[in-house]
Amino acid sequence: MTGIWYVVGLAFAGVSFVFLVIGLAWLISHRNRGDRHKGLPYESGIDTFGDTWGRSAISFYVYALLFVAFDVEVVFLYLWAIVFRDLLIGGLVSMGTFVLVLMLGLAYAWRKGVLTWR
Amino acid sequence: MSAATPAGGRIRSAMGLMRSFPAQFWSRLSLQERLALIFVPAAIVAGVVTVLAVVLLGPPFLDFLGANLPLVRFAVAATAILLLTVPTAFVLIYLELKVIARMNLRIGPNRVGPWGIAMSVIHGFKVLSKEDFAPTGADITVFTLAPVVTYMASVMTLLVIPFAPGLIGQDLNIGLLYFFSMGGLTVVGLLMAGWSSFNKYSLLGGLRSAAQIISYEIPLTLSVVGVIILAGTMSMNRIVLAQSGSLLDWFVFKQPLAALIFFIAATAEANRTPFDMTEADSEIVAGFATEYSGMRFGFFFFAEYVNVFIVSALVATVFFGGWTAPFQWPWAYNLNWFNPWSFGFFGWLAIVLTVGYFGTIFFAVFARLFGGREWGLWASMGLGFLFLLVVVAGLVVLAGFIAFDWVAGLVWFMAKTYAFVITFVWMRATLPRVRVDQLMGFAWKWLLPASLLNLFVTATAVVLLNR
Repeated sequence: MTGIWYVVGLAFAGVSFVFLVIGLAWLISHRNRGDRHKGLPYESGIDTFGDTWGRSAISFYVYALLFVAFDVEVVFLYLWAIVFRDLLIGGLVSMGTFVLVLMLGLAYAWRKGVLTWR
Repeated sequence: MSAATPAGGRIRSAMGLMRSFPAQFWSRLSLQERLALIFVPAAIVAGVVTVLAVVLLGPPFLDFLGANLPLVRFAVAATAILLLTVPTAFVLIYLELKVIARMNLRIGPNRVGPWGIAMSVIHGFKVLSKEDFAPTGADITVFTLAPVVTYMASVMTLLVIPFAPGLIGQDLNIGLLYFFSMGGLTVVGLLMAGWSSFNKYSLLGGLRSAAQIISYEIPLTLSVVGVIILAGTMSMNRIVLAQSGSLLDWFVFKQPLAALIFFIAATAEANRTPFDMTEADSEIVAGFATEYSGMRFGFFFFAEYVNVFIVSALVATVFFGGWTAPFQWPWAYNLNWFNPWSFGFFGWLAIVLTVGYFGTIFFAVFARLFGGREWGLWASMGLGFLFLLVVVAGLVVLAGFIAFDWVAGLVWFMAKTYAFVITFVWMRATLPRVRVDQLMGFAWKWLLPASLLNLFVTATAVVLLNR
């Protein structure tokens, strides 16, 4: 279990490194307050209008749902793949069934036109 | 208007500087003065602290280090990994500028240093000294944390990449899974950046990159399941060891389809050119990075190039044998006759001085002969010294390659990795960007079924052939 401390330690060291460099950049960088127009979002020179944090297309949400389903499947597949040499034919049949059910879901989504970007 | 001499003007500005000491002192300094005022005291403090630590608590300090070797190993590994990212990004940026320029029949950077090799260092300093600016409506906390998350997501993955035998941050037994889980955190950083910028282009870029990366994450992770079945482990070191032997033991020959899928999906994961929808500059300005500037943008930049390196390293590790040599070294050398300690300090001093003096002159003559009149005497001497350093470094690496396992492993690993880096650059120079609907459709309708097919064909082959 020493590995987890390497991960935590590297995360800590990395975040410190990033903030150190950003702090250094803050010290040596040029700054001025500017005027009102400096803080406007850059939208190709046109003043921003409407609600920026408004609604976005539903297709992003559907892709996220599909992703969750298949990513959980991948976690199962990794563990299955490690012990596959002990399972052999039984493992192949059971995992084949599991993936088949998921592929039915994908086929349904495909048929419903979810995978076609609009 | 004023008839002040330059000297008078300087004195007056210095007086003004002192009068406004706390308030405007720092902001009136030039970049060089600021760098000097930061680095000189920092270097003095670091030097004094080091000397004090060694002198005052020398033996107890060394005993403490000896008793906590894992701690020392961690400190060295973390420092090496973090410091590795900076030159890697610099080399990749220069490589990309130069290689794409040559492919476009341009010359590319050639002003800063010989052949423009210091170009990306200058880029780094430029980014460091630019104003770090946040737009008015932005969510500052998330805006600041987004590059941190993105950069960390790529740096954390370097922990499990085996550079050479014994040269690995930490050989986790879930190495490959750890790699993908950490690499997947990139999405969070990009979404944070897109959402917090208060800009419609940023939000759209963030959402697009999230949709793209999570779509390609699935074929990316599925394609290596076949490799895990064959190797029987997720530890990166043991995956490399499973491919040791000859060229034909590499997994690319047992899993060609998986290697292809992995390469394509990895291109999309690293947001590289046929799939760089996230920063499609002709459509959504710069995507999630539109509102970023200064060092916060710099870390996105770093993360992107480190990602290219990491993805190439992973392709080399998982499918092309990592640090293993493609063929056995045909001749055995014995370097035991060479004992570097036998010369003593003054012997080494004599060797270094003699070789340095005559070697510099030798190469300077060549620089003078082939460089023509544009190289002055001191410039050609400097270039000769540079050539000498390159030759000596090459000889040292060659000796290490023959004598040490890890040097040979590192050389092979870097050669394979940079071959894929060049391939990514080549693709960027050659291929046009794909359309967003084609991009998403390709991941779900082609790559996902193909990777599942590869997986079950591999599993069936293992069942039929092995036992």
